[in-house]
Amino acid sequence: MDRNWKQHLLMLPAFAVFVVFFVAPFIYFFVLSFWRVKLYKISPDFSFVNYGKAIERYVPIYQLTFSVAFAVAITCVVLGIIYAGVVRFKAGRWATLLTFIPLMTLFGGYLVKIYAWKTILGINGILNGALIRLGLTGEPLTALFYSPFAVAITLVYFLLPFAILPIYASMRSIEDIELDAARDLGASPWRRFSDIIVPRCRPGIVSAFIICFLLTVGDYVTPILVGGKISMIGNMITPQFGQKFDWPLGAAMSFVTLTLSVGFVVAFSLAMRLWRPR
Amino acid sequence: MNTKNETGLIRMRSFVSRRDMMKTMALGTAGLALTGTVARAQSTTSINMVCWQGYDDAFKAGSFMADNGYEINPTYIGSNDEILTKITAGGRGSIDIVTPYMGYVPLMVAADMLEPIDETSVPNLANVLPVFRNDPNIVVDGKLYAAPFTWGAAPMLYDPEFFGSTVPSSWRILETPELEGKFGFSDDPIGNITIAAILATDATVATELTEAQLKDAIDYLIMLKGKARLVATSWGELADAMARGEIVATFSGWETMKKFVADKGKNVEFTYPEEGTFAWLDNVCIVKGAPNLEADLKMANHVLSVESQRMVGEEMLQGIVSQKAIDALSPSAAALYPYEDMTAFGRSATFFPFPPLEERDGLVSIGRWNEEYERFKSA
Repeated sequence: MDRNWKQHLLMLPAFAVFVVFFVAPFIYFFVLSFWRVKLYKISPDFSFVNYGKAIERYVPIYQLTFSVAFAVAITCVVLGIIYAGVVRFKAGRWATLLTFIPLMTLFGGYLVKIYAWKTILGINGILNGALIRLGLTGEPLTALFYSPFAVAITLVYFLLPFAILPIYASMRSIEDIELDAARDLGASPWRRFSDIIVPRCRPGIVSAFIICFLLTVGDYVTPILVGGKISMIGNMITPQFGQKFDWPLGAAMSFVTLTLSVGFVVAFSLAMRLWRPR
Repeated sequence: MNTKNETGLIRMRSFVSRRDMMKTMALGTAGLALTGTVARAQSTTSINMVCWQGYDDAFKAGSFMADNGYEINPTYIGSNDEILTKITAGGRGSIDIVTPYMGYVPLMVAADMLEPIDETSVPNLANVLPVFRNDPNIVVDGKLYAAPFTWGAAPMLYDPEFFGSTVPSSWRILETPELEGKFGFSDDPIGNITIAAILATDATVATELTEAQLKDAIDYLIMLKGKARLVATSWGELADAMARGEIVATFSGWETMKKFVADKGKNVEFTYPEEGTFAWLDNVCIVKGAPNLEADLKMANHVLSVESQRMVGEEMLQGIVSQKAIDALSPSAAALYPYEDMTAFGRSATFFPFPPLEERDGLVSIGRWNEEYERFKSA
């Protein structure tokens, strides 16, 4: 009993930090989401008006945001599986180096990476220059930049290491002998992938999807710098806390986004559970 | 002497004895203490300023900052609304100076955000042209709350490489197929709606709109957005897009963007289209509870000095307010604005009143403007 009490006491600082910096702000913004603002002053109130606005006004923005986030997360997961598979099963003594390469990209700043893509995808960028020199196009392709494609490709580049690492960590638990045994028993490469690798990597795949999906949903800097005239939900929420000083509406929009995100993540997790060996 | 062993590594132990180490540490400690003393003697006053990008440079003209030991800690805004929200969201007691457009001053005074300006501490106000000094927005209940320091209008910026010798004379050119995917907006709600109201409504005053007129203005903006390449969150970002050749013209703009683009190695020009545009008068205001009130007043006075005003007129290409500085402008800078005949300027750009704070006489409020603007953002 005395020992238990001491253990609980030792957990108190961590618990306090969690309550002060996570639970309390969460509750505060949830309560705030029902309040109103008038002439830059927040007044306590209780109404669902903000939730009505948050849902009704921004349907196209939610559609775009979740489409881009889903595309980015799936692309990262697929590329992550391929890369991690090569490192785990094909790279041999180069495996350590190849694991280190995606980690190295994390040393570069987020904004630096976005600006790098500006110089690659822009109308006078490296890619357009190359396409013109190769004679594949006569005019620069404007769709490469200031478009949802530019947002997606920039985020895939930024988030790929976050997908590779958990998937690779899961793959390390698969022994070569398991795959060798399956092959000896006549399993095709797809069957080995589908029945051994995917089920054993499920936690890594789900983690990779969640990280990439949520970071994309919440991102608002990439659309500003490479998205052109498109806005994602982060671009609509941010001004509510700054330019427009409508914190209650911003809070309501955040909770709607959070709910939808949780829905997507749960749906993906369930879909992965349905993936079972035959 | 440092010695190297066979591996080429420096052997510390061969030249640093324990006693030497103690001496070094003592000297180091003394040195650090001395540095601290010097640093305190040369301590600077940090002025927190919330302003448009580039405005902080106007305060840095000449040796004023160094002479007084001031340094500016700027926070750049993308729209005037950000000034109000930054003050409200914890800025009181930390922000010194803000530079709002004149229309916001009565609203900020009503919200108890501004400190009145002691005119005796800002003697350069005496040189300000009466048309600006007597602007009804900046005096509330007989007290001056803002020192006007620069003005201008929202022009269309264009790339002469694309347009050749033809200067675009109308905003309508942006609706043509030739410009499709080749122009950009800045995300400036009031500015964009005002110009759209000039173009798409029958409103007598473009900032006083009925619900139907506001809807027409937003519908027009949505139509134009469909043809645009970019809605930038700041003037800097819009200028960057021009410099990189991503766009060749802008809907609304800022004269200083010409400098931003030139700094990146490209030449662009600006013009005031024939349908008209809005003019603005930006001010130095001191935030209530500002931590460095005395320094803030000196800064306000300095930005009205000939030295600073000339910098605004010559380098930032903006309109200036000091008669003494206007007299000292180079002919090319003086020719940019009709200082001799402000009526002529009024024919292409208008100082519109701020949209109503509350709904009145069938006119929608600024809150409604912001709500409708979300429809444009979401489109």
